[in-house]
Amino acid sequence: MNQTTPRSNTPAPAGGPSKSDSPSGAVVVENPHEGGRRVGALLHWMGTPVARAMAALLLVLVLGTIFNANGSFFKIATQRDTLREVSDYGILACGMTLVIITGGIDLSVGSVLALVGVCFSIMSIHWGWSAWIVIPFSLLIGAAVGAFSGGLVAWFGIQPFIATLAMMVFARGLAEYISGNMEVSTAMANPDGTYHYVPVPAIFQSINSSVLGGYLAVVTVILMFCAAVAWLILSRHRWGRYLFAIGGNEEAARLSGVPVVGAKIGAYMASGLFAAVAGICQAAQEQQGDPRAGIGSELTAIAIVVIGGTSLMGGRGGMGLTLLGMLTIGYMEKILSLNAVPDAGRLMLTGVIIVTAVLAQRRRE
Amino acid sequence: MESIYRKKLGAALIGAAVLLAGCHSKNPGTTNSAAKGTAKRWVIGMSQCTLGEPWRVQMDADIKKAARKYPRLKIIFKDAQNSVLQQRAQIAEFVQSGVNLIIVSPKETAPLTEPLAKAYQAGIPVIVLDRAVLGNQYTCFIGASNTAIGRAAGKWIVNKLHGKGNVVELEGSMTSSPGQERNSGFRQAIKGTDIHVIFTADMKWQQSIARREMESALTRFPNINLVYAANDPGAYGAYLAAKAAGRAKKIIFVGIDGLPSLGLAYVAQGYLDATFRYPTCGRHAIAAAWKILHGQKVPKRITLPSRLFTKQNLAEGGQPLP
Repeated sequence: MNQTTPRSNTPAPAGGPSKSDSPSGAVVVENPHEGGRRVGALLHWMGTPVARAMAALLLVLVLGTIFNANGSFFKIATQRDTLREVSDYGILACGMTLVIITGGIDLSVGSVLALVGVCFSIMSIHWGWSAWIVIPFSLLIGAAVGAFSGGLVAWFGIQPFIATLAMMVFARGLAEYISGNMEVSTAMANPDGTYHYVPVPAIFQSINSSVLGGYLAVVTVILMFCAAVAWLILSRHRWGRYLFAIGGNEEAARLSGVPVVGAKIGAYMASGLFAAVAGICQAAQEQQGDPRAGIGSELTAIAIVVIGGTSLMGGRGGMGLTLLGMLTIGYMEKILSLNAVPDAGRLMLTGVIIVTAVLAQRRRE
Repeated sequence: MESIYRKKLGAALIGAAVLLAGCHSKNPGTTNSAAKGTAKRWVIGMSQCTLGEPWRVQMDADIKKAARKYPRLKIIFKDAQNSVLQQRAQIAEFVQSGVNLIIVSPKETAPLTEPLAKAYQAGIPVIVLDRAVLGNQYTCFIGASNTAIGRAAGKWIVNKLHGKGNVVELEGSMTSSPGQERNSGFRQAIKGTDIHVIFTADMKWQQSIARREMESALTRFPNINLVYAANDPGAYGAYLAAKAAGRAKKIIFVGIDGLPSLGLAYVAQGYLDATFRYPTCGRHAIAAAWKILHGQKVPKRITLPSRLFTKQNLAEGGQPLP
């Protein structure tokens, strides 16, 4: 499931923007087989990013077993709810993984989520359009916004942080403008200022429901589909290899014939598309469009990717790691919530867990 | 409404053009479109601290709606975008442009006291909404009490549960004064009864967090009688969690705010059992402004009572609370 950068095979050209001089030591080139031969296969496996990501998840699960809130932690409903609650973040993290592997970042996903959620709700609740039109149209909005950010990054060479920060602010403003800064609910205004109420569209109900006898939320199924798509791109498609190559060393990738501009725009477009999927899921779960939805969720998505072990420097990581990171964050939030830990404590504990997980990910020098 | 949305979304897709259109229609004092052709005699400046909360959007909408009943009122709306400095500047602009009256919903009390006092001393009447400024250099303050509303909700809950039961409390942001006061008023009212708050969580006014916390409460406690949430979307999120778990029918859901497009819709559609309105003061502000402009006296402080909305009394506009 996980990829290592082809960087170890392609020597960085002198003078290129090589990242191996990074003082953190996080991107030092190493041969993954060196330690394995000496100490044995098991120890080698324990040194792989997957094992490290699993260690962080295991730590959280052990905490859950200890603080199990009178056995609530072991109930099936808890597992279902945890997966449902983290699904939106997980879908955002799928796109974020692609972007981070190129060495970029996408801060706009939370705002795109809100923008698409609002548009989706207006089209389906207030205009009564069919889901067959509304869903493709909503996805198109997300992809277009993502492609625009990608264009700013790849064509105009604006730093990803700045370009997507601008898009984050713009898309939030657009969501607020389109919605008139109010939740797009099933209450529709009459000309005289009173309201009449319309039923929630069927598509909202279906996405908000669950399958397998109520043991698996539909949004979790959507997340699995998104993760499978992102995994296929990264590990089975040429485009995925391009993304790793760009993250490893963009100049070297360009010189060896990788279509850098196209591949990068594609990554941001995919991120926008996944954010649109998350926006549809969010609106369906709230049963209304909320222009303030997803504030700060870009940071959760980034935390999920980083806790999994995908390097913020780019070139290294994978979708399987992101799923492990997602479970770590999801279960941590669930345990804090089940035990009704006050908010101040939650924030501090979340910070501690993130640092611990990232320390566990740190590579040997 | 529908055509407005269609137009807006269409414009949005065109792209950059919408930004210009948006700025144009939003920022420079949207005027009251009523009373075409008649001479507009009174100009009122209205400075709102932020339009980032539905309740404040509703306040502006209520002022606009109320002003339509008075044909010679023109209102200039300004949005301070959550910035004290911007709001100070807006008040100074109102004074310079010679408005007849200023309505302000301040972001913070202390920093806005001085510019408002200057306007007041210059002979411009000042109506302060929701948050009072310091001293007495203003004409009239209109607001409501979150503590009183929390207490009223608590009393209703005690009555509804016959003084006994298990309650989940979903707090608003406990770093904000409305969140703290809605919590403390409720706790005062249930003190000494057999009502137990078995689970509390800070849902930060957000529906998605409220739903998550309610899911935890539902797995932990098989017997929940009522959910008290500090705002209506929070109560609705709790309802959705309970509905997914098949337990919504056994639980009573109570929210606060009572906005027509949110809380009242949830009550009308049978999701919430009750909501307590936190009045926006918009209608009262215009009524007071009209009196002041015509030289009549208004009280220095007006505290607005809350209203209780249930499915039974929704049609007659809710039930006033003392």
